[in-house]
Amino acid sequence: MTSSATGARTIGSFVDRLQGDPLQARLLLLLGLWVVSLVAMSLLSPYFLQARTVPYLLQYIPILGLLGLGQTLVILAGGPGIDLSVGSIVSLVGVFTGALVAAGIGVWPASAAGILLGAGLGFVNGFLVNVLRIPSLMATLATMFAFGGLALASTGGRPIGGFPEEFGWLGQGTTFGMPNAFLFVLLPVALVLHVMLTRTVTGRHIVACGNDDRAAHLAGLNVARIRVGLYMLSGVLAAVGSVISLSWFLAARPDAGRGMELLSVTIAVLGGTHIFGGTGGIPGTIVAILIVTTLQIGLQLANISAAWQLGLIGVLLIASVSTTGVFRRLRGMGS
Amino acid sequence: MAHVTGLLPPLRLASPTATRELVLFAAILIVGAGFSLASPYFLTVVNLVQTLRAGLELAIVSAGMTLVIIMGGIDVSVGGIMAVSAILIGKSYQAGLSSWFVVPIGLASGTLLGAWNGFLTTKLRVPPIIATLGSMYIFSAIMFLVIGGAWISGLPGTLSPLVNGKVVGIPASLLVILAVYGLCWVLLRQLPYGRHLYAIGSSEQSAKLVGINVDRTKIAAYAILGLLAGFAALLYVARLRNVEINIGTTVALEAIAATILGGTSIRGGVGSLLGTLLGVVFIRIVQNGLVLIGVSSLWETVIIGGLLIVVLTADALGNRNNQRGA
Repeated sequence: MTSSATGARTIGSFVDRLQGDPLQARLLLLLGLWVVSLVAMSLLSPYFLQARTVPYLLQYIPILGLLGLGQTLVILAGGPGIDLSVGSIVSLVGVFTGALVAAGIGVWPASAAGILLGAGLGFVNGFLVNVLRIPSLMATLATMFAFGGLALASTGGRPIGGFPEEFGWLGQGTTFGMPNAFLFVLLPVALVLHVMLTRTVTGRHIVACGNDDRAAHLAGLNVARIRVGLYMLSGVLAAVGSVISLSWFLAARPDAGRGMELLSVTIAVLGGTHIFGGTGGIPGTIVAILIVTTLQIGLQLANISAAWQLGLIGVLLIASVSTTGVFRRLRGMGS
Repeated sequence: MAHVTGLLPPLRLASPTATRELVLFAAILIVGAGFSLASPYFLTVVNLVQTLRAGLELAIVSAGMTLVIIMGGIDVSVGGIMAVSAILIGKSYQAGLSSWFVVPIGLASGTLLGAWNGFLTTKLRVPPIIATLGSMYIFSAIMFLVIGGAWISGLPGTLSPLVNGKVVGIPASLLVILAVYGLCWVLLRQLPYGRHLYAIGSSEQSAKLVGINVDRTKIAAYAILGLLAGFAALLYVARLRNVEINIGTTVALEAIAATILGGTSIRGGVGSLLGTLLGVVFIRIVQNGLVLIGVSSLWETVIIGGLLIVVLTADALGNRNNQRGA
């Protein structure tokens, strides 16, 4: 590429340089976007820029964050993979755990059983997609309805209460001013996943599957097993999110996870994970969660209709997918 | 080629979806027989006509969904298109416009919103599921902002004969469905455009190489689905004479389910309108029958979701065997 380029070429080479490490560039872009949304929200609402907003913000993050992390890994491993059933897993695991507690089982063993159920539901997804080779969108759309419908139908749509007060420690309690769910669940999980993805052989295998599953297969990787494992991980993370939600509200709502599947996809894709896999990472997802939550809470504090939040998320989702395409095309022009 | 001896291709029925259509038809008969034994109200003219009217919108949207899925696309925002169109229709009626203006407004808004989805998937290269998910958010936002949590009610019933009327004893809604499916059949099976849809669904790359304008064909398919969703919105208003906040919430899933049940491949390139129509009938009969025998309507989603999983699994196993045999 020549240095004396003009017009599209200049833009192209700039983008090219930016894309030298696309993840790094994306991360910078996202951090910038977060700052912009913080500023915008504090202009919209005088309540936003206060010290107590931060823990408030962090309170909202863990559940969605866990779903976003699981979604990131499922999409990253390619296929193309996606898990539209995470919201329904949140609902179903919550209802299941609630029923166990109502039946007199201790709340922590019940939660453990719920997380096991999450793994099982994730396995169903993984099996349908990777062993039976049903396109992931269709398979998880079907399980989204099956799981979500089961949660609603088995409870008749009524929430299950009766959780002991001390169970609230996880979802309501704070340590050093930070919500426990953030400090003791989301942060460690994100760190472990980040290290796994960037520093371990398993992590490289996941990325390899996403880049080119044929090559990965020829290199001796069991692509299907890796991907099934990630669907199970996504199910487990959704179940943990469900437990946090139980502990926060001390009730199991049968529609607790409604809409979360789309939010989690938005977060993963906004965070720079390519929708067809192969590129992406945990840090981008974390910043994307911050952006989405900031917008949600900011608009809430500014008392702006929830409809705008919906619309904004839709625009974010489309824009975050299409900009990656636009970047590519600009790069193509430059070279 | 594993069929060393077979110079002739293996015997199969006329079309790849024919088996599915037969199975579905048999399933409808069996389920229908079961329900009519369980409930004396099931096999009554009143109930069947009622079910037909309630299934009108789903049937029409499903026809468009079939075209889009055959082409290898998908649209989960049809409910949103229906909602926005219905609100425009309602607001136009409230502004005192006559049906001569309201009908084109409803159809045009549906077409435009559908074309918007086509634009996103072709020109911006957003995968269809993501694009239409995003659109779904945006459309619901528009709906909530315009409608503000209240119903639009007391709309005129000038179009109601399309739903409730009768022509020489035949319910008008049945004629509407037949007309829509007839037109779509001509489009899909008799005109070059339909062959292009199949071609794109089978292999987009090859379709491009033989000179099909892929982008334009795709945008048109999404626009046709949008047009049908707009038409469904008109019929919705004609049927209920108001616009409720939950309009169109389940129609996308049900339409996709009906299409897949009917034998259209989610990977594109294979599919039939007859199968889809049978899929719609099956879904509606199951829903209606369950309500009649006193099962909570909450179980509907479980059953449709479960049914989808079963059909997808059966398809997948079938594909596997074919691949092994080939």
